[in-house]
Formats: sequence, structure tokens, C-alpha cells
Amino acid sequence: MSAPQYRKAVAYALAAGLGLSLAACSTKSDDAATDANGKVTITVDCQPVGTEKDLLANWNADVAAFQKDNPDITIKSVSVGQQCNNPPDFTARLAGGTMTDVFYGYMTDLSQVLDSGQAMDITEYANKDTVPTFDSIDPALTKVFTDGGKLYALPVKNYSMGLVYNKTLFQKAGLDPASPPKTWAEVRTAAKKIADADKGAAGYAEYSAGNTGGWHFTAELYSQGGQVLSEDGKKADFNNALGKQVLQNLKDMRYGDNSMGTRQLLQWGDLLTNAAAGKVGMFVGAPDATQAIVSQFKGKYEDWAVAPLPGQDGLAKSTLGGGEGYFFKKGLTPEQVKAGLKWVAYEKLTVGKGQFDYPRAKPQNYPVGVPQPLLFAPGTEAQKAEVELRKANANVDPAIYALFENQQLPIKGEPTNAQAIYAVLDSAMSGVLTNPNANIDELLKTAETKVNQLLAAGS
Amino acid sequence: MAQESGTRTLVSQAQLRRGRGRIVYWTLLATIILGFTLVFLGPLYWMVTGALKSGTEIAQTPPTLWPQHPETDNYVNAWHDLNLAKLLFNTFYYAIGAVLFQLILDTAAAYALSKLRPALGNVILGAMLATLMIPAMVLIVPQYVTVIDLPIVHVNLLDSPFAIWLPLVANAFNIFLLKRFFDSIPEDLMAAASVDGAGPLRTLWSIILPMSRPILGVVSIFAVTYVWKDFLWPKLVMPSAETRTVSVGIEAFSRGTSMNEIVAASVIAAIPTVIIFLIFQRNIMSGLTAGSVKG
Amino acid sequence: MAIITAPGTTEKLGRSEPAIRNNARRNRKIRDNVTGHAFLIGAVLCFALFSWYPMIRGIVMSFQRTKRGVTTWVGWDNYTRIVADPSFWPAWKNTFYFTVLALILGYAVPFFVAILLNELRHAKGYLRILVYLPVMLPPASALFLFKFYAYDPSDAGLFNAILKSLHLPTSQWMQSADATMPAMVIASTWMNMGGAVLIYLASLQNIPGELYEAAELDGAGLWRRIWNVTIPQTRLILALLAMMQIVATMQLFIEPLILANGAGTEDSATTVAYLIYQHGFFQNDLNGAAALGVIMLVVLAAFSAVYVRLTTKQD
Repeated sequence: MSAPQYRKAVAYALAAGLGLSLAACSTKSDDAATDANGKVTITVDCQPVGTEKDLLANWNADVAAFQKDNPDITIKSVSVGQQCNNPPDFTARLAGGTMTDVFYGYMTDLSQVLDSGQAMDITEYANKDTVPTFDSIDPALTKVFTDGGKLYALPVKNYSMGLVYNKTLFQKAGLDPASPPKTWAEVRTAAKKIADADKGAAGYAEYSAGNTGGWHFTAELYSQGGQVLSEDGKKADFNNALGKQVLQNLKDMRYGDNSMGTRQLLQWGDLLTNAAAGKVGMFVGAPDATQAIVSQFKGKYEDWAVAPLPGQDGLAKSTLGGGEGYFFKKGLTPEQVKAGLKWVAYEKLTVGKGQFDYPRAKPQNYPVGVPQPLLFAPGTEAQKAEVELRKANANVDPAIYALFENQQLPIKGEPTNAQAIYAVLDSAMSGVLTNPNANIDELLKTAETKVNQLLAAGS
Repeated sequence: MAQESGTRTLVSQAQLRRGRGRIVYWTLLATIILGFTLVFLGPLYWMVTGALKSGTEIAQTPPTLWPQHPETDNYVNAWHDLNLAKLLFNTFYYAIGAVLFQLILDTAAAYALSKLRPALGNVILGAMLATLMIPAMVLIVPQYVTVIDLPIVHVNLLDSPFAIWLPLVANAFNIFLLKRFFDSIPEDLMAAASVDGAGPLRTLWSIILPMSRPILGVVSIFAVTYVWKDFLWPKLVMPSAETRTVSVGIEAFSRGTSMNEIVAASVIAAIPTVIIFLIFQRNIMSGLTAGSVKG
Repeated sequence: MAIITAPGTTEKLGRSEPAIRNNARRNRKIRDNVTGHAFLIGAVLCFALFSWYPMIRGIVMSFQRTKRGVTTWVGWDNYTRIVADPSFWPAWKNTFYFTVLALILGYAVPFFVAILLNELRHAKGYLRILVYLPVMLPPASALFLFKFYAYDPSDAGLFNAILKSLHLPTSQWMQSADATMPAMVIASTWMNMGGAVLIYLASLQNIPGELYEAAELDGAGLWRRIWNVTIPQTRLILALLAMMQIVATMQLFIEPLILANGAGTEDSATTVAYLIYQHGFFQNDLNGAAALGVIMLVVLAAFSAVYVRLTTKQD
């Protein structure tokens, strides 16, 4: 009996001593990590949920295949919801120490994971032996997960935002799906036409709740060439002509043209639900949003395409980028870390396996040809192999993504303190989208004061 | 119903039987029945039929009263995707445990405070009642940190039902209700029991408890309702998908599931309790009526 | 559990022998003390662990900051940070606004519904079931019902369809800063009032009919009778429920979370409870959340002091 179990037993006995017989069972089983035969067991989260039938089946098949190749390793998958990292749940798991041995997180989560004291330094384990493609991974990505020269996570996804649009609605509105809008003015015109052609649809849809509004404000501000915080990160830097332009564009569409639909205060799932129902003409998103629309919200991938992010005159000056990785829980044995790295490498970083198993995904209701996740550095073997395999198995017209892929915009990361700042900016977004008399200058000024207060308080 | 025997209330019976009073009464009755049905049953009807409609029909203006092409897909999908059976089981499991823990521990404590009156009893009672004015929200963070790592024993109660059961025992309102009720049991009865040589436990078991059925019923109903209605605490202490309660589970899924499926899940989740309520409504109503604090 | 079964002393024994009686009394007292505490221990442990200790810990936490697993004393830093939070004042404003609206609507409506139901001689059972039915719904179910159907801002929404058919102006509901709080109170009252109605009904039935009789003979009309008989007779329960209602409205959380996706439009739905959650579990700031918890406690303490003063003065 391990120490925690012993303690648990004491606690149960205590409760039972109070006069109750308990048939309770704890759901947490702390299996011995390595048994006598040298078998290693690791728990891994972010298993797809039941609604994503193909993805779940793929994952389970991968686990079986991986275990067959590595008879010493047992993978226990845990599903933590559609959004593997829903901030409050993620925080709760970190605080409670209930995350899995190998756990999923965003690039912006590193400091929070370090704060919780739950992160394992994997520098000495992560190399070509455990992760065959390790040297091909874009160094910029490993750098994001590095703190003080130590690596804490293995990147598994890297995205940048573009303009996601519905080709079917484009056609219906007499627009050419092959030449999507390149500027915000063109977005506005197209949105108007779509809303006119289909009364139930929003020509352009936008988030304004659950911190996603602030996230998109940031992306759109980047498209204008702006930044959320000043270079030194000490002051808000969006209360200017660029920030105003972002909100003005939205206001014009929402109340000038009435082309954004009546329902606002949308967050991630709300917008994608509407999109999957064919009620959204355009929205700002990463190319993988089309995958979520299809696999989670039961939309049709034939409807969707992705273009580079528009800007005020010409394409966006830069776009918002981010990504995900797998962290390792502190206190794992070296065998467990190695096993975990091997699994992540197999599922996420091997061309032809796991997320790169394009031949398998091709006949499934899943778009192949999406130019993401950009994990491997350009010019490396892995990158070339990935591109080739993707092209060979594409089930969507690659021309659709060509625009996005050929026009690599400069990528900017998220600001420090991203979630807290997004919460403030949500307010500006919801203001401009729900109040016809909203005063943009007021909204930005308030948000600026709020962000500066936040930064000054050093939260 | 007890009241129909003709107990005098605000307006006298006689007044309602005569001329104008009679007309007013019947008009009022009809209005109330119609109004209440619309207000309380109407939304439920809307919910049940809404989940039968397609996405396009839901968005239609004006809304349709009856689904044109009823489809049960939403219900079937909701049942499977959300694993509603498990969520419902969890919720009932937590509720029953909460009732047992509260009944046993709080009754014992209230009995001690009311009848045995041990030294410092009043201080303890005061300290308990002082928590009446402290909303759960004030304590949510330190309570959460405590549950993650219980002092002295260092046990992590996350995902364990004890994280719901034990904090609910610390319910000052229950202690207050029970103690008040026990206080009203005459001292003579206790003395009589004493004469017969009954110890405190015997007295509690064979004299006090049988008399206290109504108040125990009330405490149980409150306990079940509380677990049923609580949201943030179970959301925090039951982070795993397998241990969630119905409300938390539905909310967690709402962020990535279509609206109609969520509504269908809401309907299914409501069915078992509504059925239980309809079966036991007489007991629940009379329990609440007979047992609640006398004003 | 220790059960002391020593035969209890009796009153009749003692009368002629005071010494024995005193002795016996002392014995009984000791016995009751031991058993008393044995009976108390379970509940006391739970109170200690989950109420009293967290209380103290919350205050301690509010003066500390934990970063990277290291906890340091930071004085009033958490308080200044939380007060500087741009949503701090809106959260209090919204919470108080809700409390006031809930006192008008969520508190008074159940009382009058109970009075009304108590007067009816027919269909009582049916009406009581109806009123209590929403209480039986999981709160998330009830709120999704309001969010998706009733408060849909388009004309397809239930409320807007009704308003439109009556030729009244429609509302944007949760998308309108002005309508957010009233809409939340309506939803909250609908789903919670059943319990209060039943409790009022119970206490109304305990009012002796003679009091009304007498009041009527004195020439008191309907409202006078409510004012002079019904309310004083149910004063205790009214006062208790008012207090509970205020404590409950302070914790308003699931309503903004589900109906308004959290903050609503321009912070119009942010409540203090939601802000605690936001800090503790969104912004990785458990210490700031603890500080806000302490502030909430102080506000409530001040409120209850006033409340106690007001209610005792009336006597």
C-alpha cells in the first residue's frame, strides 16, 4: 500500500467510525508506475470525446498499435472534454494535482504550470532516441516551452489565424469562393451580400464572451499592425487609431449593415455550432477550426475554406499564432517520461501515424490538406515528408488553402497575462456588438485603464 | 387537503360563497390555474418540443407551437454523447450520501445541543450558527484548498464523493431546525425515558426520532435539493468527466455541443426527478408543510 | 461510539435524600457531558474542517501569494490588486442590483403566491405541484431553457415572440446591459420560488383563524388584515427567509455563467461570485480570490449588523 492509499484508508476508517458503513470508492487509482516485469503505465489526457467518433476511434486504434509495438508500455487515456484545456478546469486540475502523467496545455500555459510546481524538466529525456523527429521540430516552438534553459513540454500543434469562410454561402451570395476578401472593407461587402442572400445567416460572426472576444480582438489588432501591449509589456497599447479601426469595422458590420446576426455574446462552441449549421459566412480562425466544425459540430468540410487574415489595406500586417503541447507531471520515473515521450512522438510527431495519418483520415469526415499543424521546421526531412503525404491524400481542393499557405503572414504570439487581458477586452467587444450606441472611444479608454491597472497591480 | 375542512383564512369562507364574492373567487381561480399552467408548465412544454425540432425550425420566426417534423436524434445523441446515465447516477449517489451524513451527524449534534447540553455546548452552537451568515462563496477558495489537501491526514478528496458529503454536514441551518424541533419536545418525556433506564442513544432512537419524522423529512428534502441544485462546488471538486453531476456535466458539454442536443440533455436530466417528485409529492409537500419552522 | 448505559438517576429517588440527589445529578451531568460531546464530534469535525478552518485559512491566504509553489506574505497586495480589478465595482453594483430586484420580485412574489394559494379551495394540490416543479429541474437545464428559448434576442425567441404578438417592444435580453439583471432575476425566481412558497404556505396555515375573525369584526379590510395579521404572524419566517435570500443572492454564479457566458455585455452580468471564480480559476490567482471572499464576508457582516439592529429595534 502506498502512502496516499494508506492515508485514504485512515480517512475512510475515520468516517466509518462516525457511524457509517461506506460503499464508496475513490475514482483515483494510483497504480504502481512500474511493475515487477518492467512494464510502464502512463496516463495521458486529451483523448477525443464521444461526439468525435472518428477521432476517438483513431486515437484508440493508435493506442492499441502503439502498445503492440511497445509491449512494455501501457497507455491509459483520459478524456477531459472537447476543449482539452478549458482554463478553469485546467487550473483546477493543476491546483489539485489531478492532471494525468502526460498532460495537454497551451503555449501560454507554461508559466501557470511552473507556478503550480507540477512541471517536470524533460530536457535530458527529449532527444532523437525518444522522439525520432525531435531535431526537425521548429526550434521556435520548443523555445516557447523552455524556461531557464529547461524544456518542459513537447509541442504538438502550432497554428496561426486566418479567415475561415463558407464556400456554399459564398456561392449563394454570388461571391467567388476562390477569391475571398483580402481587406476588412471586402469582408464587410461580402458579409452584407451573404446576409442579404440568406436571412438566417450571419455574413461575418465574432466572439464576445468567455475571453474569446479579447482573443479575437488581439488577432484583428495584429492584422492592423497593432499590438496589445507596449514593447516592454508595461502599458496597454490598443487605445489608438488601430484599435479603433478594429472596433469600427465590427460596428459597421453589426449595426451599419446588420450582417452579423442578432445573437451575440458568442464564445467558442456557440460560434462553431452556428457555423456547422451553415449559418456563418466568415469568421476569424485557425485552419483547424474547420476540423472542429466537422468532427465535433457535425458540419460538412466541403463547405469550408481558409484564407489569410485580411488587413485594413491589403492582407493583414501580421497574424496571431499559438499552439499546444504535452507537459509531464513532476515526480514521474525516467521510464515513464521516456514512455510518455515515445507516445507523444508516435501520436503527434510521426509522419504517417497519429495526427499525420492522412491516408486513414482521407475517407473519414475530416479535412485533409489543411496546412497545419506547422510543427516541423521548413526544409527538414520530416517537413518535406509531411507535405508530400498531405498533398497525396488531400480530400479538399488544395487550392482552397493555397492562398493561406502561400501567403505566410508574420506571426505574433499572445501577450503576457493573456487570459486576464482577454477578459477585459471581451467587454469592449461585447459593447460594440450589443449596444448600437456604443462609444468606441469610451470602450477603448475604459479597457485601456483596466489593462493598465491590471499590469500595475502585477497580477 | 387539510385546509378544506374550513379553517378560517384571510378571507372568510362565507364571503366566498355569496354573490359577488363567488364570482370573484371563481374568476380568480380560473385565472390562476390558467396562468400558473402557462408560466410553470409552458416553458417545460417548450423545452420538450424544442428539442424535437430541427436547427432551422428553431430559428424560425414566429416560432412553431408544435414541431413540424419531430426528430428524436437530439435525444438519442444527448443520451450517448453526454453519458447521461452516469451523470444521473452520480447525482443521486451524492444526494443519498448527503442525506445519510446530514441525518446521522446533524441529528446527533442537535440532540446533544438540545437535550444533553454538554459543557461549552452553547459556545459550539454559537460558532455553528455564526456560519449561517457566511455564504458558501466566501469560503469557496480556502475550502477548495482544504479539500485538495486535508490538514493532518493529507488526503486529496478531489473526485471523491466525500468532498461533497462532508462539507454538507457543516450546515448550520439543519442544526438550527433540528435543535428547535428537539427543544419543543417536552422535558418530561426525557425524564420518563430516564426512569425506564434508557441511555441517551436509546432515548434518541426510540423517543425523539419517531417524533421527529417530519423534521427529518424536511432535512432530507433540503439535502437532496441542495445537492441537486449546487453547481460551483461540484464543478470544482469533481473535475473528471466520470464524477460530474448532471448540472455540471451539461454545462461542461454546452461549450462544444449543438444547442438542441443540450436542450434534449436538459430534458432527459429533468425526467427522473420530476417523476420521483410526482410519485412522492404528497409526502414531500406534507413533510415541508408539517415540519417547517413554525412562524 | 461510546454509549454510556449506566442507569439514570431519577427525580423521585432524590427528593428525600438531597445528598444522593446532588451526587446523582453530578453523575448525570458528567455522563451527559461525555455522551454529549460524543454525539457532537462528527458534526463538530465537519464544521471545523470545512467551515471554521477555511474561514481562518481564507483570511491568511488573502495576505499571502503563492507563486511557483512558494508562499510569501504580501500584506495588502491581494486586496489592492482585487480592488484595482476593472470588474470589481461593476461586480458589486450588479450583485446589489440583483439583491434588490430579488427582494422585490423573488421575495415578495412567493409570499403573495402563498397567500393566494392559501385562500383557494380548489386545485390546490395541482397548483402547488406546478409551483414546485421548476425546483426539480437541474439548474443548468432550467437556465439553458431560458438562454436558448426565452431570451433568444431574435424574434424567434419565446419572450420576444410573445411581446411581438402583444405589439410590445422586444428586448435584446442578455445582450442588453439594462435587461441583463432583471432577466436573470426572472429566471432565478422562476426556478427557485417553489421552496419559499411551500414554506410560506406552511406558516400561513399555522395562523389561528380567530385572529382574522377578530380583525374583520374590527372592520379591517383585506389589506389591513394582511398587514396586521398575516405579516406579523409570519414575521419570524419572513425575516429568516429574507436573510437567507440575501445570503443566496450574494452567491449568484450559475445564472451569469450560463445565461450571459460569464460577464455578459460590458460587464453587465459580472457578479462578485463570478469574479471570485474568475480570479481563482481563470487567472491563476487563488490568493486574490480569497481576498475578495474576505471582502464579501466583511460586507455581509456589516449588513447583518445593521439587519440585527433593525429587527431587534422593532421589538
